[in-house]
Amino acid sequence: MKYDAIVIGGGLAGCTAAGILADAGRKVAVFSEGLSLHDASEGPASHKEQARPPYAALSALAAKGVTVFRGDSIIRAEMSEDGSQVTRVFSRNLGDEPLEAAAYVLATGKFFSRGIISNMEGMYEPVFDADVEFETDHSKWFDPDFFATQPYEKFGVKTDSEGHVLKGGISVANLFAAGQVLAGEPMSDSDIEKSGRTAATEVLKKL
Amino acid sequence: MQEKNISTANLEQCLKCNLCTLVCPMLAVNEQYPGPKKAGPDGERYRIKDPEYYDYALKYCLNCKRCEVACPSGVKIGDMIQAARIKYGSQSKVRSLHGLRDWTLASTDFVGGMTASAIAPIANGILKTGMAKAVLHGTLGVDKHRTFPAYSSGKFETWFRKEAQAGQSAFEKKVNFYHGCYANYNYPQLGKDFVKVVNAAGYGVQLLEREKCCGIALMSNGFAAKAIRQGKINLESFRKAEGPVLTVSSSCTHMMREEYPEVLGLPNEDVKDRIMLLTRWLYPRLQSGEIKLNFRQDFHMKVAYHTACHMQRMGWQQFTIEILRMIPGLELTVLEPNCCGISGTFGFKKENYEYSQKIGETLFSEIREAKARAGDSEPFAVATECETCKWQIEMSTGIPVMNPVSIIAQALAE
Repeated sequence: MKYDAIVIGGGLAGCTAAGILADAGRKVAVFSEGLSLHDASEGPASHKEQARPPYAALSALAAKGVTVFRGDSIIRAEMSEDGSQVTRVFSRNLGDEPLEAAAYVLATGKFFSRGIISNMEGMYEPVFDADVEFETDHSKWFDPDFFATQPYEKFGVKTDSEGHVLKGGISVANLFAAGQVLAGEPMSDSDIEKSGRTAATEVLKKL
Repeated sequence: MQEKNISTANLEQCLKCNLCTLVCPMLAVNEQYPGPKKAGPDGERYRIKDPEYYDYALKYCLNCKRCEVACPSGVKIGDMIQAARIKYGSQSKVRSLHGLRDWTLASTDFVGGMTASAIAPIANGILKTGMAKAVLHGTLGVDKHRTFPAYSSGKFETWFRKEAQAGQSAFEKKVNFYHGCYANYNYPQLGKDFVKVVNAAGYGVQLLEREKCCGIALMSNGFAAKAIRQGKINLESFRKAEGPVLTVSSSCTHMMREEYPEVLGLPNEDVKDRIMLLTRWLYPRLQSGEIKLNFRQDFHMKVAYHTACHMQRMGWQQFTIEILRMIPGLELTVLEPNCCGISGTFGFKKENYEYSQKIGETLFSEIREAKARAGDSEPFAVATECETCKWQIEMSTGIPVMNPVSIIAQALAE
């Protein structure tokens, strides 16, 4: 299946980027592993009284013509020989069906959504094995002051000055990252939305 | 996924985020149901300690798997609930009238085999009468609002052997067809449509050496041992057959691919990748140009595609949607994926009828709106791969529902 852009992650960053790309008339697919917390509800905890139903953001994208893959995620990617381009990706549910796009947006979030995975050896990004910025000394991941900004919150995927994701030190020309998967200061919701918009703007320059 | 899980169904991965609770269609209409988190991972922790903690309200689970689609952590909540119902909730139920009803509803092969014959018109006629419905409602507890899917007066298999099998030798390449109960006993036309599409694609069709009902209705009605026996027969047939085993029903397919190993404990890794819906097999071959289908130029139809729950869980709806979009003259709307509420045999039981209809209402109203927008100038149909969704949507809206395979067959140039 072929698209102009494939957005990996249906959270706030991914939905923001996908919405802008769809509004610009591009053919977009979004892969959303599970229901994102931001798309769960805006109302009180009781789902009977919530202000909007779950999946409202993904449904709104579908109404704009975006192809939404709920409950599916991209699990592996193929790169060009020189490592400067993503050539195609594959999802868990679609199996051997290749998914191709001119540009890809990585918006998989951080630890909760497994956009970044940590283990005793370190941290990695599971889809592209993109470069992750983190502290190698495990004891420096945490601040003993519970209420302080925790160092691990700043770990994430490395990008170049134009927002391209780095892999093996090389800028991947058609891969952008948005939202909390990025390395840097912890983000507020408006920061996440802003980074989704920035990624979409960069993608539109490519298309 | 973490490498160190010791449970089945990814129990340890549950973070108690409650996203599954939010999307459960049953919980939204029935407060007696504890919801997927409590019925699944929460309850499982207790049940492991002591089976006494088993809650009979788990019978309300529709097995729609919408909880699994929503879970960000890959917990197989629905499978866990099904497995708990089998392990802790099964009773020898045929002794009561409701048990007899559950057995009759679940035994699609036995009842279908008896009824899809010369007696079909008589059986269909009787089952349609108000008297029969009142009796079934009062005694067995089959809701009086329900109409049984009509039985065919001849089985698909009989037709295939008589009319189609000889012609298949003309094709060098073959696919195996797991037709399932619905195409065999209730609606042989679907099987005929399958043969038409596969032949038009340049492939021959062969039946499996043996085929049994996939067992989904047995599993959800508490007859797991029988479901396991049938599953073993099917998997054995698949192992003997070479090449793809193609299907037309999303629920049978999901059962044989996912629930055989996860719920019934039947390993299927060696054959799983060969079991798939026709559209899943067809789409990549149409894309690569290996298969070309010639469609009529005078075909006109407006279609609203409904992603059945098990189709959504497998995530294969896009294969069907893309093929339907290739048909000239077909105008496609994709409906929001919502549960129709019937859940196989669940909605046929009188104690469940109201829940079933309440759950389906969101989908029904979207279908009615799509129909109103489409107008009357061209034929309008809902397309879905699930036969029980078909019965439910037709009973509840009066709008015809077709399997996408039948739509593709109708659109083919002669």
